[in-house]
Amino acid sequence: MARLLSLPGIPPLLACLGLLVVWDILARVFMISGLAPPLEALGQIPGILSDPEALINIADSLKRMAIGFVLALAVAMPIGLWMGRSRLAAAFFNPLFMVIYPVPKAALMPIIMLWLGVGDASKVLVIFLGVSLPVVYHSFQGARAVEEKMLWSAAAMGVGPVGRMLRIVLPTTMPEIMVGCRTGLVLALITMVTSEMIARQTGIGNIFFTALDMAQYNDVYAMIIIIGILGFVCDWAFEAVRRWLVSWADSAHEIAVGSA
Amino acid sequence: MDAVIEKTAIPASANGKTQLMQESSDEMIEISAVSKTYNTSQRGSHLALDDVNLTIKEGQFVSILGPSGCGKSTLLYMVGGFVDVSAGSIKVKGAPVTGPGPDRGPVFQEFALFPWKTVLENVMYGPLEQGMPKKDAIARARELLTLVHLSKFENFYPKELSGGMKQRVALARTLAYKPSILLMDEPFGALDAYTRTRLQNELLDIWERDRKTVMFITHSVEEAVFLSDRVYVMTPSPGHIRKVYDIDLPRPRIRSDLLLDRRYQDYVVSIERLMDEQDKEP
Repeated sequence: MARLLSLPGIPPLLACLGLLVVWDILARVFMISGLAPPLEALGQIPGILSDPEALINIADSLKRMAIGFVLALAVAMPIGLWMGRSRLAAAFFNPLFMVIYPVPKAALMPIIMLWLGVGDASKVLVIFLGVSLPVVYHSFQGARAVEEKMLWSAAAMGVGPVGRMLRIVLPTTMPEIMVGCRTGLVLALITMVTSEMIARQTGIGNIFFTALDMAQYNDVYAMIIIIGILGFVCDWAFEAVRRWLVSWADSAHEIAVGSA
Repeated sequence: MDAVIEKTAIPASANGKTQLMQESSDEMIEISAVSKTYNTSQRGSHLALDDVNLTIKEGQFVSILGPSGCGKSTLLYMVGGFVDVSAGSIKVKGAPVTGPGPDRGPVFQEFALFPWKTVLENVMYGPLEQGMPKKDAIARARELLTLVHLSKFENFYPKELSGGMKQRVALARTLAYKPSILLMDEPFGALDAYTRTRLQNELLDIWERDRKTVMFITHSVEEAVFLSDRVYVMTPSPGHIRKVYDIDLPRPRIRSDLLLDRRYQDYVVSIERLMDEQDKEP
């Protein structure tokens, strides 16, 4: 038993099964129409995933999420790095971001819709805002912690100010930036769904909330599971990229001993 | 102990300023009337270095010795061009220092290795930056890693190394781009006593090969005397040159021989005494 549990995939699988069992018991005990039993919800998933219209909706959502995420990285990373290395930039941007950070980005959606309409632009902007802040924050923290003497060492070799930013500060900060990106990815998923809840045209949120309106609770729970799996897959893919980028920061080997 | 002190002649020492006047023109580093003031928001302005004068000749190994916080590292940062002087001037090979340059290679107590680069890539960085073709840079880096006994670790990342190994890589990385001056900022300060001693020996072995000009910052009297041709002793904050000792001991230096050498003992004891006196002064 102990050996079985130590297999890498087994504990999470057990956790999922446990969740389903608890869910099933609750559904049977309370018999609420709004709490569909798990097997019925799971039964809807193949149907949804083989429906071309649903797939187009999911693809739309993912496209917006990707655009918002990439745009956020492109803007937030440079600002964060700049703040980390310039006291002036930090003094300027920091209060600004402190105010924006706790505002739920989806709550801005109605206002943004007034500016940009109900189309892709509004949703991408909301995702962009959601992702930007954790990325700015972590890039800032990481860049600020870069050892001054590392930059001096590079300067002595002849690396100029721009080179030091791109070739010393950026790679040194990368592990910390990755932490921000991971949080950003989760927030992208959340803001993606909520933006589609408010401006309902296409997307995963659209399927979800339409099903909810029509009291198709099996479909609602099926969508919750699909969103959860989507989040898991995104995170897994991200972790693969992260490990490839910053493997140097993970402790792969023991500290070399022997030669002092 | 008393007997030793009584017999101790303070060897070949002179006041910093008189020394300056005696210098000929082969100076590599000339620090004249340098002061450094820091403006802090909490305590107003703080004088870290006060009217420092010193010179280092080409090929000389010179240590700056002083208590913590006396500004001796700041002095090195200013020679490196990393920190500006508040008053006075610093010249390297006759030209005023305006910023960092590959003629002055720093080695810091904090190692400051590039953590995302392997040991080999760290050492290659300088030569590549200086425009050396990659193949030659690899060869140069391997040559230096052999010199510091780290050939087997070329594919390791800095975080996988011990402190002593990190400092060897840092030294190799700096030597790789052939600076004419080594600026060593308490390089062995973060290491245990055993590793420290070993690295002092290795540093002297390497230095004997081409006798680069070295400016070495330390707070260890033994380390300064063991390594140097000349030791400048600084006062506590604000840092000022208190005394200069020319260390007239034969080279190459062998630690076990020196420990028995009366002249070595005399230097160490008289500098220790001077520093004790400084501590007691108000």
